Amino acid sequence: MPNKTVKNKNPIFNLLGNPKYQFISIPIFAVIISLILSAIIIFLLGQNPILALKGLMQGAGALPKDNYAAYQGQVTDFMETLDIMTPMLFAALAVSIAMKGGLFNIGVSGQMLISGFVATITIGYAKELNPFISKTLVVIIGIILGSLVGALIGFLKVKFNISEVVSSIMLNYIFQYVISFFIITQYVDPVTRQSRVIGENARLTLMNVEIGPYKMRIPIFFVIAILVAIFMHFYMNRTDQGFEISAIGLNQNAALYAGIKVNHRIIMIMAISGALAGLAGVTFYLGYRASIFPNQLSSIGFDSIAVSLLGNNNPIGIIFSSLLITIIDRGGTYMRSVSGVEQEIAAVISGIILLFSAMSSYMKEVFGARYRKGGK
Amino acid sequence: MAKDYDYIIEFRHLTKRFPGVIANDSINLQIKAGETFALLGENGAGKSTLMSMLFGMYEPDEGEIYLRGKKTKIKSPRHATELSIGMVHQHFKLVENFTITENIVLGIEPKKSMIGIPMVDIKGTDIKISDLSREYGLDVNPTDVIEDVNVSTRQRVEILKMLYREAEILIFDEPTAMLTPQEIEFLLEIIRNLKEAGKTIILISHKLDEIKQVADRCAILRNGKLIDVLDVKETSTQTMANLMVGKDVSLDVAKEDSVKGEVILDVKNLFLKNMFDVKIVKDVSFQVHAGEIFSLSGVSGNGQMEIADAIAGLLPIDSGEIFLKNRKINELSIRERTEQGISYIPEDRQVYGLVLEFSLANNLVLKSYYHEPYSNRHILNDEAIFNHADKLIDNFDIRAGKGKDTIVRSMSGGNQQKAIIAREIDLDSDLLIFVQPTRGLDIGAIQAVHQKIIAERDRGKAILLISLELDEIIALSDRIGVIYNGEIQRIADAKDISREEIGEAMMGVAKNA
Repeated sequence: MPNKTVKNKNPIFNLLGNPKYQFISIPIFAVIISLILSAIIIFLLGQNPILALKGLMQGAGALPKDNYAAYQGQVTDFMETLDIMTPMLFAALAVSIAMKGGLFNIGVSGQMLISGFVATITIGYAKELNPFISKTLVVIIGIILGSLVGALIGFLKVKFNISEVVSSIMLNYIFQYVISFFIITQYVDPVTRQSRVIGENARLTLMNVEIGPYKMRIPIFFVIAILVAIFMHFYMNRTDQGFEISAIGLNQNAALYAGIKVNHRIIMIMAISGALAGLAGVTFYLGYRASIFPNQLSSIGFDSIAVSLLGNNNPIGIIFSSLLITIIDRGGTYMRSVSGVEQEIAAVISGIILLFSAMSSYMKEVFGARYRKGGK
Repeated sequence: MAKDYDYIIEFRHLTKRFPGVIANDSINLQIKAGETFALLGENGAGKSTLMSMLFGMYEPDEGEIYLRGKKTKIKSPRHATELSIGMVHQHFKLVENFTITENIVLGIEPKKSMIGIPMVDIKGTDIKISDLSREYGLDVNPTDVIEDVNVSTRQRVEILKMLYREAEILIFDEPTAMLTPQEIEFLLEIIRNLKEAGKTIILISHKLDEIKQVADRCAILRNGKLIDVLDVKETSTQTMANLMVGKDVSLDVAKEDSVKGEVILDVKNLFLKNMFDVKIVKDVSFQVHAGEIFSLSGVSGNGQMEIADAIAGLLPIDSGEIFLKNRKINELSIRERTEQGISYIPEDRQVYGLVLEFSLANNLVLKSYYHEPYSNRHILNDEAIFNHADKLIDNFDIRAGKGKDTIVRSMSGGNQQKAIIAREIDLDSDLLIFVQPTRGLDIGAIQAVHQKIIAERDRGKAILLISLELDEIIALSDRIGVIYNGEIQRIADAKDISREEIGEAMMGVAKNA
């Protein structure tokens, strides 16, 4: 090399600025800064930040609590965390593949809702079906419904040049209100004011499974979600279709010129994104939960955008970012009981992390510029 | 103003490094006030980097800039503007749906007060700008909207922008790369006017005849080093060319007579419409044979680029037929046409030819990634892709800081073009369409491209060359078709048509000949 590398005086800037490591250094930096900031907020509220963060971890089963009720233990808490992480992971994967193709699927929540609703009323209430068959059907319905909605959004984009952001937000509203209407008129449980609880046979989470001294949930789709994430990583980076998706995301004109059928691919990308959102929907509404709140979209669909950003739109990164965000979201109740810090602070912490992760490309640029100036 | 300095600009030991390259290596250069100074060098020689430092876009790693005798640290383009430095970039920075005046005043809007409310005084500025335009012979109408005016006018708007900000030092980065011959004449006239008005002009260029016409002195850069500073009047273009490339170059291309084979491309009665449903190509028919270079010559915007797009499948055909090796390809997709044997070097290499954020290796398989050996059963084979990249980088002398892993955006224009040509030639198609293949390239690179084109012809390929450079057409073609207003005026063997006759046909006056 003809140039000598002049090291920046500050090793932290060196690490954060080097484009080689930024894919991992920037998200970690975002998380650390957020935790420090959260600790300061907790401290200003007059509480002990260490105790609060510890409570957060304990509540999510990442650290052992001091004592447990009968049949309960750290492992039961952790299983519940994994149970809610499953739809988050699917949803973030849905966002990331669209993002890779230069598309913004902000309608994950709507796609989750329609998939969950249709699966609930068709299979969820068919309580006499064989559990294996009904679970399989639930998943198939989720995938089909989600991909149909995704493909519709893609079709509207290529055929009528309607921005996918606009059409997916509109579809969110349409699904939310139409489905609420049907739940309230047809499927409501008068006591809980939600849709009636689905049968255990159709539920994607096994409940109250006795293992040793514990009674726990087994989120069977967690393992599948991890496998899907690994597959998506492979698909996006190692296959010819992944190559096409990246090319479209970076330069549609060049993709067209290279002979890629851009319009077909856009519909396909949105269909895959929708299918993943559908999986998030069934694992949420027929897994973690067993009924649907009317008039409500799940926040998972929106949080997943930031989770995907925090994970650098990389499926493997997303496994870790969704675990982190889920732990913080889940641990709030216990944090309050042990440290007296309000439960909402947990939402504040994950909000801060998501805020910093949304700033990650800005940070990449800023640290990158410093690195280039000070270095080579 | 009393001058207490010898040179308006002085660079002392200016050095700038980028990962893997030294863009400027200890440059010492003095520029006098009021002269037209040219910077000459091949792509990647460091001309643009040097000027970017003067314009505050890069910070020098070592060395100093003296401005009007004072050591100055230029922090940003805004700071440069305050120091009366202006720059016209290769790619214009204008707001499409603003008028010319609005674009010019953007950032320093003249205020007036209307019943106490501050307003932007556009009307008053219109007059000021049209005065300014007349003074330097720029000929722009301040109330025109940018999206309605052509490239040449946009460039003049950029010049006005500098003048309006009272720039004394005007930097032009490859100003003629996008212009037609007539527009170039016009621009050179403007540059002369500016010089007469006492401005200091720095011209980044590699077009020797333009430098010869307007510049007083010229500095020659090669591989980041200053080779020489010459008095333009006393130096021949040949000497300048030799110094720039570092070896003896001939400005002509040597080629044998063509050995004409069968008809490869047959275009019959082609009609094309643009997106506003206006007929832009009318009843065009021509044939391209194996082993010949057929070129379409014409002034920009006469339908020739659309013909190339239509053959490649990027633009739908209104009516007419296109045959490739006697097979009708009207209905085939872009990819099917590529597979049938069409290679296409598009006019706009950054928008169509390349995915700028991809690595060089990925760009080199942009049209072949999906088949063996680059992917087996839909899974990419990195080893094959990398070997392919290394092979093409070697064969076509593509220079890139990090080899096959280089992100194409960071490569110089000439090397980007080499990458596209390498990829397209490597497809081994029977028909190669070259559109403006040497636009923005320096002499060394132009020569290399011309030699490649002739080598492909000699291998029995059919070549369709579309260019705005008459010199290029005359140097390369075996047969020439002249297009004007969407119609072919004349098709002739290159040896049967003179330069003047082509020129007349390009203007549409020789229909009866």
